[in-house]
Amino acid sequence: MNLIDGLAATFLLIAILAVASGRVLSLVRLYSLHSIVLGITAAAVAALTNAGHIYIVAALTIALKGALIPWGLRYVIEKIGVHREVEPLVPLPVSLLICGVLTALSFYIVQPIVTGHDILETITKNSLPMSLAVIFIGFFMMIARKKAITQIIGLLIMENGLFMAAYAVAYGMPLIVELGVFFDILMAAIILGLLAFRINRTFDTVDTTILRRLHD
Amino acid sequence: MLFVSIILTSLAGALLAVLLNKRRAGMLIPYIAAALSSAMLIVMSAPVLLGHGDVILSLPTYIQRLGEFSLRVDSLSAFFLIVMAIVTMCVSIYSVGYLREYENKYNLGRMGFLFNIFILSLCMVFTAGNAILFLIMWEIMSVSSYFLVIYEWRRADSVSSGLMYLVMTHVGTAFIAAAFLLMWTQTGSFDFTSFAGIREMSELSGTMRSGIFILLLLGFGTKAGLVPLHIWLPRAHPAAPSNISALMSAVMVKTAAYMIIRCCFGFLGVTEVWWGLLVLLIACISALVGVVYALAETDIKRILAYSTVENMGIIFIGIGAAMVFQAFSNGDSTIPYLADIAALALVASLFHVMSHALFKSLLFMGAGAVISSSHTRNIEKMGGIGRRMRYTGAFFFVGALSISAIPPLNGFIGEWMLFQSLFLSQTIGDPMVNILIPAAVAALALAGAIAAACFVRLYGAVFLARPRSDHAENAEEASNSMLGSMMILASLCVLTGVLATFIVRIVDKVSASVLGTSIASKVVGGITLSTPDGGFSHISPLAVVIVFLLLLPLVYLLSNRLGGPQRIMREDTWDCGTPLGPRNQYTATGHSQPLIHSFGRYVGVKSEVSETKSSSPLIPARMKFHQEVEPVFERYLYRPIHRAAVELSNRIGWIQMGSIQAYLAYIFVTLLVLLVVFR
Repeated sequence: MNLIDGLAATFLLIAILAVASGRVLSLVRLYSLHSIVLGITAAAVAALTNAGHIYIVAALTIALKGALIPWGLRYVIEKIGVHREVEPLVPLPVSLLICGVLTALSFYIVQPIVTGHDILETITKNSLPMSLAVIFIGFFMMIARKKAITQIIGLLIMENGLFMAAYAVAYGMPLIVELGVFFDILMAAIILGLLAFRINRTFDTVDTTILRRLHD
Repeated sequence: MLFVSIILTSLAGALLAVLLNKRRAGMLIPYIAAALSSAMLIVMSAPVLLGHGDVILSLPTYIQRLGEFSLRVDSLSAFFLIVMAIVTMCVSIYSVGYLREYENKYNLGRMGFLFNIFILSLCMVFTAGNAILFLIMWEIMSVSSYFLVIYEWRRADSVSSGLMYLVMTHVGTAFIAAAFLLMWTQTGSFDFTSFAGIREMSELSGTMRSGIFILLLLGFGTKAGLVPLHIWLPRAHPAAPSNISALMSAVMVKTAAYMIIRCCFGFLGVTEVWWGLLVLLIACISALVGVVYALAETDIKRILAYSTVENMGIIFIGIGAAMVFQAFSNGDSTIPYLADIAALALVASLFHVMSHALFKSLLFMGAGAVISSSHTRNIEKMGGIGRRMRYTGAFFFVGALSISAIPPLNGFIGEWMLFQSLFLSQTIGDPMVNILIPAAVAALALAGAIAAACFVRLYGAVFLARPRSDHAENAEEASNSMLGSMMILASLCVLTGVLATFIVRIVDKVSASVLGTSIASKVVGGITLSTPDGGFSHISPLAVVIVFLLLLPLVYLLSNRLGGPQRIMREDTWDCGTPLGPRNQYTATGHSQPLIHSFGRYVGVKSEVSETKSSSPLIPARMKFHQEVEPVFERYLYRPIHRAAVELSNRIGWIQMGSIQAYLAYIFVTLLVLLVVFR
């Protein structure tokens, strides 16, 4: 119990750190770490519930999200020479404050589910508010940052939060679904990477506020 | 079994039309299929109409919540189906000849496909026994007819007319869907059989019933072309090829009358008097506005389309009157024979549904024949066509007589019964009714008179006198398939009028199945309701024919005897020294001037005479007459709505600023608010 709660707290902290980080490369590194924590949590859940298939998911998480996707992102960043700064729309201190508010909000939202006695019976239920907070933070990152790369990472963090929420509620999804989602994520990362390429080629920048020009 | 084969035949016709596109057989086989399925439709519906039990076909359903998808032919459906089938059969035959004009110009495979699908969807609309199934079929009907309206897409106004039709019909469908959903909340099922239970629900509030009624009236009123929802009709019906115009005007608009009768009497039960009065008022306005516009128009198909607005008005006057009487007789059964008058009004309305289907399809077919041989729609450029298209002219004449309600043709019967039911209403002591019903009588009479004037003008300008253009001069008689189908309809117009006695009995069965009151035993001479005080004059169409047939030779003999043989001299009339040409003829616009002067200004018909002065104060060098119809409803009703909608869109348009971050923020904030509110 304490192990999983601790891991979930780390998971949330890394997400907040990602919002606080001012550099693109460290953002990618944080994402990698974030995914590895998710993988470890999955392994812990597998160990505590004796569910063999979750080990596979844990391994895949670490391999795919912890290594492959960050590597791909780094490749894109180097290839198109993204500037190191993340260029926030909302200044970093304010972002952190908002993250705090979002975390509080997510605890408030799921409180009836978590504290109610007969609603959630899982040992991981305490991580549900934290995973919801991670989803919010990922979403907020997509809103509050200019670069396409940071938006991709926001989406990926959101997606990590979704996985965590799945562990919290039901010890993860059926294996076939998880595999499908992995494949989806990989594809999404590739497509988004390509899109960042195209945006860069068309506008000479990956600043998405420039896309406003597409407006009639 | 027969029903399944009808559906399969139509589908096969549609499929073959696509496969045989651009081949000779593709111009024949789809229409044979349509005629065949129409014939089978008559065979299937006739026993139902004669009281041999309903035909029910269950379609497979996969979603239990939507209820049972069944097609049901009961008495009311059977009546509309037979009317439809007669028209579709004739139109199918007609299309074989008519569509030759479109060869190599437009895709005939598309026409054959849509034609069959349209007919099938009409058939389904008349038989659907479930609200969801009905809406699906209604939508197929609307969309297939939309594609038929824009069939001649190269013509300038075709696509814009189609667009207006598409928009209006979907607005109507939205209202209908809302009404069905409201009924669903009351019964918990989408089946029409369960909707019928609403009548007995005493706990259902009057406001709810009235709300549903208003939604239904708006929805079906749009399809029926009731003023002010009619604006699409005079644009869409003429834009379609003439065989389709015939189907739309004769059959499709009737689906609205069918559903209003079914929903108001069958589902809701007429509980409030004002429903009927509202229908009556709108119908009277439609009848008058429609006919005055028809009089001001010079495009032959638009004249017919406006006349459809008028005739739908007449049909709805009958429905409205039936609703008023039914409501009174439900509320107070002490007033004698009120239920009988209600039945009479509904019988009149149903009879007029049939008559209008017959003569309007005949007239549209005739118009199509004239247009394809004279290559113009403007009646000012026609003239003298009757000499070159003798048969077409004769059949068109029958249709024109019928629509002008000349006894003993069928157009007369419905209006005559309608007048009776309205006159007999004096037993009701309600002041509102006592004002509106006589007003309806006046409106009906006025509309009838103007319609007669309108068709005198139409027939005269198109078929009589001397040709006003080269095209009219070189007009050629229509092909045999066109003439044959017109002949069938023309003879049916006469037959249904002459044999009205028998048909009224059948129609009475239909209305009895709706209202529960049969008047067959109380009808005298076929079409006159006998009242306990016996105060109404009688007329028998059969007797009129016999008297007419006897008198005709008598008059001829007498005039010959008294007048003696006349020497016929063919000379020019005295022409003041200027040779008379076709331009000296009475024009259609000129012919309608007296009536337009009296009634036109109420619906926005404006005319002006301008002259160029010459040296003499008495003789101007040039005179010019210009008449235009101001689109009153578009300008003063639809334009403000449109403008308001655009303005509102502009006001809230800033939300769409084009920034990804902003859009994401909208989603995010919505998500957060929803989560917090519904936590």
